[in-house]
Amino acid sequence: MAAIRTFVKNCQIINRNCAVLSPHVQKHGMSQYPSYYIEPVHKKEIQEDLIKSGEIQKLAHLPTKAARNDQSSSFRQDDLVNLFINYVMRNGEKVLARGLVEKAFENIKRIQLEKYHKCDDVEKKAKIELAPRVIFHQAVENCKPILALTPIKRGGVRYQVPVPITPKRSQFLSMKWLIEAAKEKDATMRFHYQLALELIDAANNKGRVVKRKQDLHKQCEANRAYAHYRWS
Amino acid sequence: MIKSFASEYIFRRAYSVLQCTRFSTASQPITEPKLQSFRSEENDPLKHTLDHVGQFYRIPEEEKNIFLYGGLPKSFEIQAKTFNETCLMIRRPSVDVINCLKLIDYTKPTVRFVIFGKKGSGKSLCLAHILHYAHKARYLIVHVPWVGNWMRRCKEISSSETREGYIDLNIDAAAWLVHFKSQNEHLLNNPEFQISQDYVWSKRETTPKGSPLSELVDHGVNRLKYASECVVGLAEEIKHLSRSGHCKTLVAIDGFNAFFYPHTRVFKEKKEVVPPNKVTLTEAFLSLTKFDWNNAAIVTTVDEIAIAEQDHKSHLPRYLLRKEGFEHMDPFIPIFVDNYSPKEFTSCMDYYRERKWVRYYPQQNEELALLSVNNPYNLMHLCASL
Repeated sequence: MAAIRTFVKNCQIINRNCAVLSPHVQKHGMSQYPSYYIEPVHKKEIQEDLIKSGEIQKLAHLPTKAARNDQSSSFRQDDLVNLFINYVMRNGEKVLARGLVEKAFENIKRIQLEKYHKCDDVEKKAKIELAPRVIFHQAVENCKPILALTPIKRGGVRYQVPVPITPKRSQFLSMKWLIEAAKEKDATMRFHYQLALELIDAANNKGRVVKRKQDLHKQCEANRAYAHYRWS
Repeated sequence: MIKSFASEYIFRRAYSVLQCTRFSTASQPITEPKLQSFRSEENDPLKHTLDHVGQFYRIPEEEKNIFLYGGLPKSFEIQAKTFNETCLMIRRPSVDVINCLKLIDYTKPTVRFVIFGKKGSGKSLCLAHILHYAHKARYLIVHVPWVGNWMRRCKEISSSETREGYIDLNIDAAAWLVHFKSQNEHLLNNPEFQISQDYVWSKRETTPKGSPLSELVDHGVNRLKYASECVVGLAEEIKHLSRSGHCKTLVAIDGFNAFFYPHTRVFKEKKEVVPPNKVTLTEAFLSLTKFDWNNAAIVTTVDEIAIAEQDHKSHLPRYLLRKEGFEHMDPFIPIFVDNYSPKEFTSCMDYYRERKWVRYYPQQNEELALLSVNNPYNLMHLCASL
């Protein structure tokens, strides 16, 4: 980005006559759309809300960006799952990443259904969660940390200071830990199977990732004496 | 400061947990299943008619043994394990074939069926349904689960001693004999099943005329070296037994076109490709699919997946069987296996929901029908992550 910007600046200096185009290029970097294009509304519920409240009239004639290829109005689409797929992705191999997460969901279903069929008790049976997306949401929720440790230098010594983190950061950490835990496995085990196991464990408030979160909280608790270094 | 933040945070978390349990299946009251139109009460394939088309029937546990050594596709077996039952959909092509099998005049030369259709449209499962029928109707079943396993990924090769230039697939042939034995266990004990001629394997080993058929099978299983020859001998014996009226025979071969595809993956020592007509097993099964015998029916499927990937160009029998295969099979009855009809599609989705494999959301059926183009295999894949 920076390189492009400097390049554009240099271009500007060289041919000052075509300064009309350059401000746009500078503002939006690599974006193909001019600044006045608005984001698309791809969810059906939100569209219906907009129609009801009449706000759709305002948007109707504004130039709109095309929807991205992972945005759809389908009910099977889930923003959090899409985000997770992006976190799993390495080297831009999105098809692979999506396949892995989908296979993990399939495995979750198979594991839970096996439990379901083995269980004889009707009440216990009804309590077994079979929806993979719900298990995923629950798992991410259960692994979110509240506090984190930051090194702060005071008087030449680095203290690990507990600080509260933003919801977005905690969600990121939770997902990152889940992926890391799934990667720590035997060579014979598949990533998607291990991910399924980790997700099920985390959804039940058990397992390595929840342990990791609790360990972090314990460490924060132990370092509470340093908390004032945040602001003094 | 931290405390107040934490309490606020916990509150927010509790709220979001509530949000995400909207789709939850747990802690919902179990409602009694209503009238299940997608499930057939008739589990006996002898009584299946066109009225049952689109419904699922259950293969009883004790009859699943005919598929013990293959016969069901692997992905279907995984599904069956997850669903805790083996259910097949009754579909038009298989019912048509079963009706034909009931009406055929068995004194006439054999009738041959060729099942064809696009990838993943359910040819193998159609064949499985017919096999179940044949098992119930007490046919002698000669079933090859997948010819591609011999021609595309054979276990071991050796050159034949009795035939010049031929190749034996010893382990595969012995495995098939075990499969044949397990499928026809109840019939092989019949004392009338006797061998019509002497088989001389070597100086010391012979199988004399008049000994039971199961002895021939056992010999092939125990002496791997002669397994392929045993299969050829067995084919001739089965034809002889059928002609003499001792048994009715059903020959079912999945991926039959692999017998006519020249580029196999069977290699000699110098990496020369062995054409399928130089494999001893081919001899046996081509002889079984001829029409020079009676009291039998032949059902084969032709499948794109049985040949190399660069030649997946068409699913039609003329292309897949090539000239020599088509002439070998001519005349045959073509049976087309189509993708799901709307009724079958709804029934399949209902079955998936009843087995708790997918969760309902609005316009689910329409969306999945469009995405999968009504193809059963595609549908199975799309539903896997829902």
